[in-house]
Amino acid sequence: MIRPEVDLGVTLGRIAMKNPIATASGCSGYGEELGRFYDLSVLGAVVTKSITLRPREGHPPPRLVETRAGLLNAIGLANVGLEAFLTEKLPALATCGTPVIVNVAGSTRDEYVAVAAALDAAPAVAGIELNVSCPNVKEGGIEFGVEPGPLASLVGAVRAKVTRATLIVKLSPNVTDIAVTARAAVDAGADALSLINTLRGLAVDPWTGRPALTNVTGGLSGPAIKPVALYMVRRAYEQVAGPAGVPILGLGGIQFPEDVIEFIRAGATAVSVGTANFVDPETGPRLVAGLRDGLARLGCGCVGELVGRIEK
Amino acid sequence: MAVESANAQDPAAPPRRLDLALLERRPAGRDYVRLVLDAPPDWHSLPGQFINVLCESDPAAARASEGRTLDDADPADWPCTTGLELGRRWPFVRRPLSISRVLTGGGRVRLELLVRTVGAGTRFLATRPVGATVDVVGPLGNWFTPPADDRLCVLVGGGCGLAPLFGLAEYLTGLGKRCLCLLGAKSAGELPVRFREPPPRTGNNVEKGSLVVEFAELGIETIIATDDGSAGFHGTVGAALDPCYRSYLKDVPVAFYVCGPKPMMRGLSHVAEAQDMPCQVSLEGFMGCGIGVCLSCAVPHRTDQRGTVAGQEDWTYLLTCRDGPVVDGRRILWE
Repeated sequence: MIRPEVDLGVTLGRIAMKNPIATASGCSGYGEELGRFYDLSVLGAVVTKSITLRPREGHPPPRLVETRAGLLNAIGLANVGLEAFLTEKLPALATCGTPVIVNVAGSTRDEYVAVAAALDAAPAVAGIELNVSCPNVKEGGIEFGVEPGPLASLVGAVRAKVTRATLIVKLSPNVTDIAVTARAAVDAGADALSLINTLRGLAVDPWTGRPALTNVTGGLSGPAIKPVALYMVRRAYEQVAGPAGVPILGLGGIQFPEDVIEFIRAGATAVSVGTANFVDPETGPRLVAGLRDGLARLGCGCVGELVGRIEK
Repeated sequence: MAVESANAQDPAAPPRRLDLALLERRPAGRDYVRLVLDAPPDWHSLPGQFINVLCESDPAAARASEGRTLDDADPADWPCTTGLELGRRWPFVRRPLSISRVLTGGGRVRLELLVRTVGAGTRFLATRPVGATVDVVGPLGNWFTPPADDRLCVLVGGGCGLAPLFGLAEYLTGLGKRCLCLLGAKSAGELPVRFREPPPRTGNNVEKGSLVVEFAELGIETIIATDDGSAGFHGTVGAALDPCYRSYLKDVPVAFYVCGPKPMMRGLSHVAEAQDMPCQVSLEGFMGCGIGVCLSCAVPHRTDQRGTVAGQEDWTYLLTCRDGPVVDGRRILWE
């Protein structure tokens, strides 16, 4: 039996991805580390570590603790800062052979806008992913992404300055209804949505009483969160993104090609893979090959045939 | 935030993910096991580097579930969806293990590891049968550098910190460097080395001898220190330095190479700073990825030149897996 040739190409806003597999922010540095294991050009896209206006050292260790089927992290957005990113990291990324999506974080709306505007002016940046799971220091530390009002205000302010790159809003799962924040982001002008970011978690040593992380709370990632991520992708797709024609970049615990297919069926056009890269640095190319085989097995000629397809 | 690495060049091979066969397994001291892995013929690593090892329960179980659907599920597998959910059990992340020695000979390359079986991951690894496949990523990290002059190399190790010292001793003597070893443990039975004969107790004195086979074979003398005094000097390695400085190390230029518990590395680093001697330590710690992307293995270190007024120092985090594990102990902010 001759298998149909599978076209893995997808479009995320204005970004043409040769396949749906991207790395996730915070899990692939600025590209050079995974580039030691394979040619990054095999990926659909690279998503960088969160960049903030000024460099950040991050939280004091311990910053990471292992859980059953996952990791709890409180790295603290350690990054080289906008200026060093543009001069030291972006030049190498520009030649890696795959679209570069830069994740942006901030503590005030003005910081987000400043970083996004500078990145939009850099031709090597194909996409800007807004990390809205950051505390808004001007509003007592509540995360930008948990209330639709502040979220829309933030996305709108950034949208006004981002006219070339694809604007992706990375939604927080620590909300009552992801459809509400998805709607706010799309109405404010997001070209695409990525979800989910980490789930807020805690770990305490039962005998000493001390939290495992210096920051006390952290973000849970890895296979443990996959069912939650899938549910939220589905909800955002059915309620908002599907009808609006806005693509979803799905993430949360992806490790195997089967996971990628599940996310596509839930409504994702492309996926980001994070934590799995810690366990297997070759995850990227492994998933590209596995997805191609999986779609061929399903008789799909392209990814689009499967997006959102959950059988009744 | 760029950190100066200990190494100007990069002679070690780039890291790869590999499936290596377990060739040998034998106990070594209480709580330790020595493992030998088959490596590809083009493996090249230097003393100080490590591998990141996947300690999963049963790789075959995950692969057996590939391609199966819910319709194929057997009642014995229910309520697991496709088997992938449970095929890969915790521990989730890899375990970083120092490469103790790289053994060459007969056209084969083998990696020797000295593993302290402290937790679920290492204990699982210690039960793998000879012939089993072990999934590793490596070589990772940087390596020890020999002194530029002919000063005495003092290799200090405690517990499983001893692991990289075997390969380092071989490497340094191969370069014609003079070495002395200082080994510590809680008690005699916990030293993961072979003795020609039981080492004598020396109370408050330190005595160097050729009783430790692995080092004696290289012509290197050893001083033993045990917390309980059951062998060699009665006390910690740090405490043993005092009599050493009154005898073997008096007015002798040295370069320290230290691997062991944090208090040992901190203590030796302070001594080295006071004596104005170089001190390379091999940091140990929990790692999320081992390849420099998760940023979990951060260790604070001074970025200024030595001699800056205390309290006005600049510091930054270095990553154990990328900027180490071998670092200048005198610049680490130990507390």
